Amino acid sequence: MDCIAFYALAAVTLVSAAAVVRLRNVLHSALFLGLSLSGVAGLFASLGADFLFAAQILIYVSGIAVLVLFVVLLAGRHSELHLRQTNKQWLPALAIAGTALWALSRVARPFSGLLAPADGQPTTRVIGGLLMGDYAVPFELISLILIAALIGAIVFTGVEAE
Amino acid sequence: MSEDAKDPKPEAPKPVPETTTAAAAPAAAAKPAAPAKPAPKPLPTPVYNEADGRLLKERRLWPTDMWRDPWSQPRYRMAWVKLIVLVAVALGAALLLGEVGRFAVPVTSFLLEKGAAYGLPAWAPGLVWALVKIVLVLHVPLLSALVFVWWERKISAHMQSRLGPMYVGGFHGWLQTVADGIKLLLKENITPTAADTWVHRLAPAVVVAPALLAFAPVSFGKDLSAADLDVGLVYVFAMAGVSVVGIMMAGWGSGNKYSLLGGLRSAAQLVSYELPRMFAVIPVIMFAESLNLADIGAAQGGYWFGVLPRWFIFYPVVGQLSFLIFLIASVAETNRIPFDLPEAESELVAGFHTEYSGMKFSLFFLAEYAYMTLACCLAAAFFLGGGTAPLSFLDGFLPSWAWFLGKVLALVFCFLWFRWTFPRFRVDRLMDFNWKFLLPWSFANIALAGLYVMVLS
Repeated sequence: MDCIAFYALAAVTLVSAAAVVRLRNVLHSALFLGLSLSGVAGLFASLGADFLFAAQILIYVSGIAVLVLFVVLLAGRHSELHLRQTNKQWLPALAIAGTALWALSRVARPFSGLLAPADGQPTTRVIGGLLMGDYAVPFELISLILIAALIGAIVFTGVEAE
Repeated sequence: MSEDAKDPKPEAPKPVPETTTAAAAPAAAAKPAAPAKPAPKPLPTPVYNEADGRLLKERRLWPTDMWRDPWSQPRYRMAWVKLIVLVAVALGAALLLGEVGRFAVPVTSFLLEKGAAYGLPAWAPGLVWALVKIVLVLHVPLLSALVFVWWERKISAHMQSRLGPMYVGGFHGWLQTVADGIKLLLKENITPTAADTWVHRLAPAVVVAPALLAFAPVSFGKDLSAADLDVGLVYVFAMAGVSVVGIMMAGWGSGNKYSLLGGLRSAAQLVSYELPRMFAVIPVIMFAESLNLADIGAAQGGYWFGVLPRWFIFYPVVGQLSFLIFLIASVAETNRIPFDLPEAESELVAGFHTEYSGMKFSLFFLAEYAYMTLACCLAAAFFLGGGTAPLSFLDGFLPSWAWFLGKVLALVFCFLWFRWTFPRFRVDRLMDFNWKFLLPWSFANIALAGLYVMVLS
């Protein structure tokens, strides 16, 4: 049962990720990006990571995918609806993607035996404790970087408004 | 009374009710009668065509005649009986559901035992019970949409000195929404030529499905939630956010510039107002120390000084501020007036659902009302104590789901009230209000809540 759910969700994620790069219409690509990200959220749920599931949907599907769609709707041109998705550089791209895949599999393999059971315990409290305890410094660093990015965006867009 | 006037059956013309004077009517006699009340004019008899029995002239009862002495009218007395019966039936149905729901755990274990005794695999009874739970949860958004649409039409009508739907179903048009639903089902399903077909078709489903999914962890009272999720709060907000994708799909897929503008406005508005809405809830999480909706409701049990309930709205300053921010942002999230810029009938001809007809249109409608119900359920659970009684001596007087239902209905009334009271925001003011007022104050609120937690602990 768990295996079926896992593989179905993995298939949804991969197929829609392929659709993101294959489809010619930019908006369809953006929609499939949202589907792919929710597939990842489903994978989290099937592995018992409840907080990650909810956060993934909250941030990626209803945040990032919506922003991507927003940009496509606002700044999209008509020519972008029939883009060719391949060019002559596909061979180096394939090589880079293959290398990245190989490296990722090397990194992930040592942990492949550590998959959480589907009926795992609630994780929120533990995650919160870790973020405020052992990983407090990286966590604060990330927030600093995000704030810097935010202020940078405001500075760049605010100059034109003057 | 309009039913009375429009009775078109010629073969059984009702006898003209005896228009008694105020003194003769028993009910009216009990009230202090106005001095020198003129006797109501006798009603004209209906005139029928003798050849084919067509109604030529109605027996018309004017509202002034009706309200001069309402209790003498049999229709008026019957209407009160019907209203009481209707309320009793609704309460009975709610009682049945509310009281059945608390046996969820015993029923599940009973089913599991029986299933194991007959050699069924362990997942079969679980599947059956899951289906039952799905039906029980689904009826909340679906039925509430049915009731609230009718309620909204009645409230708006009475706020504007109209009567609203009066005909379908006999009593104050209470079946009007059902009739409208049947009508919408029979309508033609139109896809515009310029539409992006699949995006256009899928959009209503993408809007509605998360709205229904979001009801899963809502706790409708003590021990009454379909999914007892530990991250229930985050889950609800996550699901509510997904609907924006559907609205943008609708805006794009319709192939219409008004729809596109509506979709864009909607995305900007929903993404913006999501932030203060979530930050307004963070003090609640800090006080309740849980993300589970049932736990948040239960954390508000008990009474300050034995009288004032420990609801989060009664925490000085923090509670009221976050309740207000949550309420305002929730109205914005449901695309309702004064935040209805995405659909703005007068400027965008209904915005993102301009090109939708029939059932697809009604799915958008359903999603809007489902989100309104959800927002009221959440506000009741976060700030108004969930299923706890408002006064200490009322504790246990009614079951918890009844208190919860009452709070939700009161909040829904506020939502309807807002809609028929406020004018629409302008786009730039909408954004200013969110980014320059709601968001900073919700941050200040979190800091204040942190101070409270530090002092109290």
